[in-house]
Amino acid sequence: MSRRVVVTGLGAVSSLGLNTLEFWNGLAGGKCGIVRRTLGPGDGLTITASIAPADAFDAYAETLGRDMARADRFSRLAVAAAEEALKDSGIEITPELGGRGAAIIGTGIGGAGSQDEAYHAMLTKGRRPHPLTILRIIPNAPASHLSIRFGLRGPAFAVSSACASGAHAIGVCADIIRSGAADFGLAGASEAVLSYGPLEAWKAMHIMSDDLCRPFSKSRKGLVIGEGAGVLMLEDYDRARKRGAAIYAELVGFGMNADGKDMINPAVDGAAGAMRAAIEGLRLDAASLYVNAHGTGTLMNDPTETKAIREVFGADADRLLVSSTKSMHGHLLGAAGGVEAVAAILALKHGIVPPTINYDEKDPDCDLDYCPNEARPRRLEFALSNSFAFGGLNAVLAFRRL
Amino acid sequence: MADTEQTLLEIIKAHAVGLTGELTRETPIANLGIDSFAVVEIIYEVEEKLGVEVPFNANQNPFGEMKTVGDLLDALAKLMAQKSPA
Repeated sequence: MSRRVVVTGLGAVSSLGLNTLEFWNGLAGGKCGIVRRTLGPGDGLTITASIAPADAFDAYAETLGRDMARADRFSRLAVAAAEEALKDSGIEITPELGGRGAAIIGTGIGGAGSQDEAYHAMLTKGRRPHPLTILRIIPNAPASHLSIRFGLRGPAFAVSSACASGAHAIGVCADIIRSGAADFGLAGASEAVLSYGPLEAWKAMHIMSDDLCRPFSKSRKGLVIGEGAGVLMLEDYDRARKRGAAIYAELVGFGMNADGKDMINPAVDGAAGAMRAAIEGLRLDAASLYVNAHGTGTLMNDPTETKAIREVFGADADRLLVSSTKSMHGHLLGAAGGVEAVAAILALKHGIVPPTINYDEKDPDCDLDYCPNEARPRRLEFALSNSFAFGGLNAVLAFRRL
Repeated sequence: MADTEQTLLEIIKAHAVGLTGELTRETPIANLGIDSFAVVEIIYEVEEKLGVEVPFNANQNPFGEMKTVGDLLDALAKLMAQKSPA
């Protein structure tokens, strides 16, 4: 009998708040974390799901110590979320235990802000990059900071698969615990690309909304980029039970595959295949299933994801509830799978499905129940968290309430 | 010159995680708690703030024969003196 993996701690930092409680209150209350910001020269306003006010997280990050003051924002966000998840789990990491703990943190881009700042100053003002620049931008920086800060000396590395990074990191960490290479691990993802250069590059794709994010709604205008981190404490079930830990949920499935087709356009069969793999062997009733959708609010994603859900669940697709919490916290890119796993798990725990807000126009190509605009109580047993990345990389996590 | 000294002392202080008490000319470098990377950061800041180039390769012993903070201040004074007038 292989090991079972459970979730014993949660941490989230996003535009909905600096911790998991604020995050959940935001989700359940249908709060919109989207703001207007000026990021570069001139008065060009950008719509982002930023942590607001802009300095709220900076003040908190200052309490995280010297190492974090010198690190990029995406590392600070990861450490803040991880610290919350670790505290929440109640695990005391002794030197002996540290060798059995993993730190696997995904990111889509890495230290984008530090890179932007360093190269901007170099190219326009002739200033040399700061000697810490490389250590700030490398994508493994958060995993390394977690390892150093908490004494985690088991498997530690970064996972990068664009918008599926967080889900891949969590799934891979669970597999590592199942394999016996670790007994517990902090797994999730972090992203902080709300900087002038990266945002302009995103705008160049012409897929960004100029006001709100409206997933599955015909009035959709595109995605809104957010920032933040979501981290889970994953743990071997027997170990968690032995120490009397409070268990949020069991990670019962992980499906991953690749479309093998296109860098931009997602494929129905890839998404459907990943969902099928995640729920394989589970006896689930669609009426007690919540699907936290990838739901970016783009024409590329929403109809494709809807078709994929229909393909997997057939007639049962009309009995399950789907929502895109990106309508509230924005698209956290690499960190999306991290915070959305937290959202899915809390939905299971509270028996409340968070809404898809800003839903105001039915789309014939998106014909599921997306829990529009208001949270809905529902007795849930299973939750899926879908992540489908640019480049056709898919990862789906399945959680069960225990 | 006093300003230059003051600038270097402030930079060192910001990185001297091992320092207890006052930072003076007599403080041994070994008591500052400066690791090899902090040396790189200190040099970067000195170069940025004082407009002087510090010859340094991180693969060598950064302090050579220098033992105290005073030795560092003297070395910097020498560099500043060599700096060609703008």
